[in-house]
Amino acid sequence: MRELMNTVGEALYLLVSFDPALWEIIGVSFRVSLTAIFAALPPSLLIALLLARVAFPGRWFAISLVNTFMAVPTVVVGLVLFMLLSRSGPLGEWQLLFTQRAMIMGQFLLAMPVLIAMLHSTLQSIDQRAWETARQLGAGWWSSLWLLIREARFGVIAAVLAAFGRIIAEVGSAVMIGGNIEHFTRTITTAIALETLKGKFAQGLALGLVLLLLALVLNVLLGVMRGRGHQTVSA
Amino acid sequence: MLEVSQLAHGFDREPALWEISHLQWQGRSLVHLRGDNGSGKTTLLRLLAGLEVPRQGTIRWTLGNAAPLSPPCPGRVLYLHQQPYLFDTSVAGNLRYVARWHGWRREEARHRVAAMLEHCGLAAHAEQRARSLSGGERMRLALARAWLLSPRVLLLDEPTASLDRQAIADVCTLISSLHEAGCAIVLSAHQPSVLTERCDEYWCLEQRCLQVSAFKQGVAV
Repeated sequence: MRELMNTVGEALYLLVSFDPALWEIIGVSFRVSLTAIFAALPPSLLIALLLARVAFPGRWFAISLVNTFMAVPTVVVGLVLFMLLSRSGPLGEWQLLFTQRAMIMGQFLLAMPVLIAMLHSTLQSIDQRAWETARQLGAGWWSSLWLLIREARFGVIAAVLAAFGRIIAEVGSAVMIGGNIEHFTRTITTAIALETLKGKFAQGLALGLVLLLLALVLNVLLGVMRGRGHQTVSA
Repeated sequence: MLEVSQLAHGFDREPALWEISHLQWQGRSLVHLRGDNGSGKTTLLRLLAGLEVPRQGTIRWTLGNAAPLSPPCPGRVLYLHQQPYLFDTSVAGNLRYVARWHGWRREEARHRVAAMLEHCGLAAHAEQRARSLSGGERMRLALARAWLLSPRVLLLDEPTASLDRQAIADVCTLISSLHEAGCAIVLSAHQPSVLTERCDEYWCLEQRCLQVSAFKQGVAV
């Protein structure tokens, strides 16, 4: 018990003393995940709009496919990207394996199904009258589209927060295609796995606390967004 | 001017709600569209606005000196839903959207929006959330938003339904002002009101046809 308390104390000290190694890992994690989420948002929005607003053959199959991809294990995404990016793979020439760009690609692929599914549900619930009113009042196609997204903004933010929570906490693809290289591709989750194996629990625990804190912040924000979204719908 | 020929519309494989072989309307008067529930009044208004594509037939609007157009005619022929959709922003913000879409300069937009809100009795609510307004105020805001564009024709779907007496009076006053300002109006309404009594024409959807009558001093001719 005393050892556990000592470890927790050490972890807290690492956090509050702004230990450079620890904060570097946190920085890499946020850089990779934020880039992935912002890269995934525009195509996800377009696909979600297409699924929500345009009737085409096979739409329900496409929606089922997106929902299926939400459940894909992160190691499977890592495996597929590893095969594509390894030297003998079709994209081997790009020399991206074990780089932050490869990790961004992995998290991009993990974020998209979550974003599309949540955005689809949000955009589908937007009143048809919003589009009709904007078009009648002279809004162009893109302005009307932007209006729809703006009307659904709380749902869009909630989708971004949920997808961000998933990708920053994933370890499978990050370790497979990032390689957990110190000062370069080591993220919060891969560092926790490594430090635990080495028996250095303090740093792992400190990073775990960061993830827990992040989860708390994201959940509070999601709660606030849901509340606001609900107010908007019921108004 | 509106010209409709051989128009028929229905949903899915159901028989057509009605058929209008020919209708010509000068597009200047105040028209009361009547019909029982389910007779297709909303559908007809939506077709005229171009929000639905007819199963068969043609609709042509000739607005001013321009060549005849098939609907939609954004900003010129406007349909207002029975419960108008207000954008999730302030009262003034709803009007500012219109200004932005039409590329008005900031100063011009500010001036016109303020004047319109004042004219429609909504100036005191300018920064209030649009969706917190009462039913009557919502309809007045929707009318103000439309009026900002000086439309040629307004198609109003039961604009006074589920409003209290005072709100009905306010909305009717505003619609009359719009008409006096040169906007032709077709309004569907179940209940007779101050407004329907002022109508110059009377369109009735019954027995799957559109009956058109003109009013002269309250008498159908």
